[in-house]
Amino acid sequence: MKITACLKAAGLTAVVGLLAVSQGYAQFPERKVQVMYPWAPGTPTYGVSQLIAEGMAKELGQAVPVVAKPGSGGVKAFKAFLNSPADGYTIADGYVAPLVLAPMFGNADWGCDDFIPLYSATSNSFAIATRPNDDRWSDFKSFIGYLKDHPGETRYNGNELTLPHMVAAKVLKQLDIVSRPVPYPDLALGMKDLRNGTLDWLIVNPGMYRANKDHLKILATLSNQKAVQEVYDGAPTPKDVGVDLGISGLTASGWDWWLVHKDTPEDRLDKLRGAMQAALKDKDVRDGIAKAGFVPTNYSPDEYSKVCNSVSDELKSAKDAVEWEKKKVRALSQ
Amino acid sequence: MTLEPLIDGFRLFFDVSTLLAIAFGTLVGLLIGVLPGLGPLMGIILLLPLAYHMEPVAGMGLLVSIFVAGSCGGAITAIMVRIPGTPLAAATLLDGYPMMKRGLAKEAIGTAVAASALGGIIGGLILIFLAPLLADIAIDFAPPEYFALTLTGLLTIAVVSREATVKGLMTGTLGLVLSTIGYDEFANVSRFAFGIDGLLGGINLVAMVVGIFAISEIIDQIRHGDLSAKPDVSVVRPSFSSAISTMRHWRNLVRSSVIGTGLGALPGIGGGISAFSAYAIAKSASKRPEEFGTGIADGVVATESANNATVGGTLIPTLALGIPGDASSAVLMGALILLGFFPGPGLFEKHQDIVGGIFWAYMAANVMMFFVGILLTPLFVACIKLQKRYLLPLIMVLCVMGVYSLESSVFDLWVMLVFGLVGYALRRFDYPLPPLVIGLVLGPVCEGNFRRSLIISGGHYDIFFSRPIATTIIVVNILLVLWMLIPKSLKQRVFRRLGSAASEA
Repeated sequence: MKITACLKAAGLTAVVGLLAVSQGYAQFPERKVQVMYPWAPGTPTYGVSQLIAEGMAKELGQAVPVVAKPGSGGVKAFKAFLNSPADGYTIADGYVAPLVLAPMFGNADWGCDDFIPLYSATSNSFAIATRPNDDRWSDFKSFIGYLKDHPGETRYNGNELTLPHMVAAKVLKQLDIVSRPVPYPDLALGMKDLRNGTLDWLIVNPGMYRANKDHLKILATLSNQKAVQEVYDGAPTPKDVGVDLGISGLTASGWDWWLVHKDTPEDRLDKLRGAMQAALKDKDVRDGIAKAGFVPTNYSPDEYSKVCNSVSDELKSAKDAVEWEKKKVRALSQ
Repeated sequence: MTLEPLIDGFRLFFDVSTLLAIAFGTLVGLLIGVLPGLGPLMGIILLLPLAYHMEPVAGMGLLVSIFVAGSCGGAITAIMVRIPGTPLAAATLLDGYPMMKRGLAKEAIGTAVAASALGGIIGGLILIFLAPLLADIAIDFAPPEYFALTLTGLLTIAVVSREATVKGLMTGTLGLVLSTIGYDEFANVSRFAFGIDGLLGGINLVAMVVGIFAISEIIDQIRHGDLSAKPDVSVVRPSFSSAISTMRHWRNLVRSSVIGTGLGALPGIGGGISAFSAYAIAKSASKRPEEFGTGIADGVVATESANNATVGGTLIPTLALGIPGDASSAVLMGALILLGFFPGPGLFEKHQDIVGGIFWAYMAANVMMFFVGILLTPLFVACIKLQKRYLLPLIMVLCVMGVYSLESSVFDLWVMLVFGLVGYALRRFDYPLPPLVIGLVLGPVCEGNFRRSLIISGGHYDIFFSRPIATTIIVVNILLVLWMLIPKSLKQRVFRRLGSAASEA
């Protein structure tokens, strides 16, 4: 009896040992690596993430599906990511809204430093646009002048505490002008209402600009970067028109870093970083990103903390600007 | 529009790889539409990476054909097992399933496939020849007009509820209330989510529709017992002549297709509601409205031609304005951008060949869908002829897979099951189910545009009565309500008097 029991125990130990050894030597990744994407699928932003994911899949030898989990300003996708194990098989497509804005508004309890970056992906910089035939202003300076002379009489697309609106409110506060924000679930609907005269001006992104070039006039980009100016076909930057908008760097753009859990094993982190770096250097991926009007941000993992936290600081003042705007609009309505 | 884009685009379209892509997309679209939970949107997303690596017209042809065929496939399941394969087909239940029950399954499916194809083609002709003109009209629709239009949509609840109007209004209201769950973009707060992460983005519409129709049907079938029995489904081999019999309803077909295209051209309205609206209008215009809901071809023609014409409609603002008509066309627009072409007026001027190629692909997808649909129907029906004890678990597995694949969310499966029970309870007490879907679909559009209108006007309600289009729609809505309030006997007396006055004249 004893011998049989011993043999059984030895056999079991051998099996467990073999399994452990095979696990240890198993090549990561053994199965698909998921990317949690925080917005609705199918948009150009989603397509750009898919391009990067495909590039990574080539390097990793496994599929890298981009799983869209829209809802609650990206918080839903981040929560799903945080509920997954820290094994490198789940990556968060870390957009500024769930990463920086959600904690700022008390909708989430994480911060930039609760994640480890793979690489920064792309940015999608905003600009101020109007109808080309609008004769109330001819350039950014005269636009500012008109808005100053007609406080609260103009309307633009602004969704409460979303990034484009916060940036717009910060610019308006900096210039001490008041325009009424109208919330839209989709920039495309705002574009439609600019064209039919419901709105007077619009905060646009490159994708919407490119699709509606003939119906938009860019008064100014919100970034002084040359690459952004090129995306908007040479439109003037704030520096060109001699205006200080009170924002810098990536603040006036949507951007994403691809992130993993803090406790992800080092070897897996290196493998994922290597794959993402290779994907971002791939000519097809870069061409695809450029076609969609996005700009690769090219930050290395070492710069993540500085970049993310500095944007966070600037956006805190943008949040105050939204409150300032609300009070001004309310005062004008009374 | 001139014919130049069509001539230039034909060269890109008439290519082996493009034609194969369209045929493949049609087949995938039909299958995805038939399976509960999966719809055209999911099909397009699944094959998006493949499209990026194809020639532009072939890639767009693949995606457009999934959109076209996926919008029709759901009708087959709706007719055969009373489960709409997609939310778009929810309205087809109203007459499709009763037709099957009356032993007219062959006619019902043939009519659904033919009406979808013909409706799609009518929508396509409108797209090809009137896209820029209709896009200009659509652009004039601002939030007050959208709000007025959603009220019209909500009025269809009364029509689709047949004799149980009060119960229909109650389930419609339940749908409206449920639509308020989730993130409120106006106030930047979560509403009625009770700290549940899965509710942060609101109730998933597909999970709810699958639960309310499919799961409740499964429970109902189990309750009836006799699980070894095969469903009472005759061998169904629809014939190509169904196109001819569908064309006998040409007035309804053209009217419903025009409604579908028109509503599709308005960004944010979508196919589901156009099918319900077309059904309501077909019923109101019919000489025998009481027959609607009992299983007549007119009901299927109205809903299926409208929801497929909507596909053509949604492509109008997508291609001509760069403003997507609905979620599926937003994905198509994203694909086009990643293929290097920005939709909008510039596309029509600078890339006529691409626009023409997409038009050809759209029309070809509708023609192929008709043939593939008719040929494959016996195969689908063979699956449904399984004994209930095999069929019901199979449907359950497909529902679970379909719903889980949406967002890889277990919570959505719970939503599906809970709404399965809700649907079952509603059925037991004879509450109509389609109004719940109408309420849930239209709720966010209605509320959002109402609040947006008031923000634009600074809180003044006169914005709804100071704009010609919005005012007209609201007045029509009021007249419709008044008409519904008039007793039936009085209406018949009025008609009789009018008839005799006309004959005397």
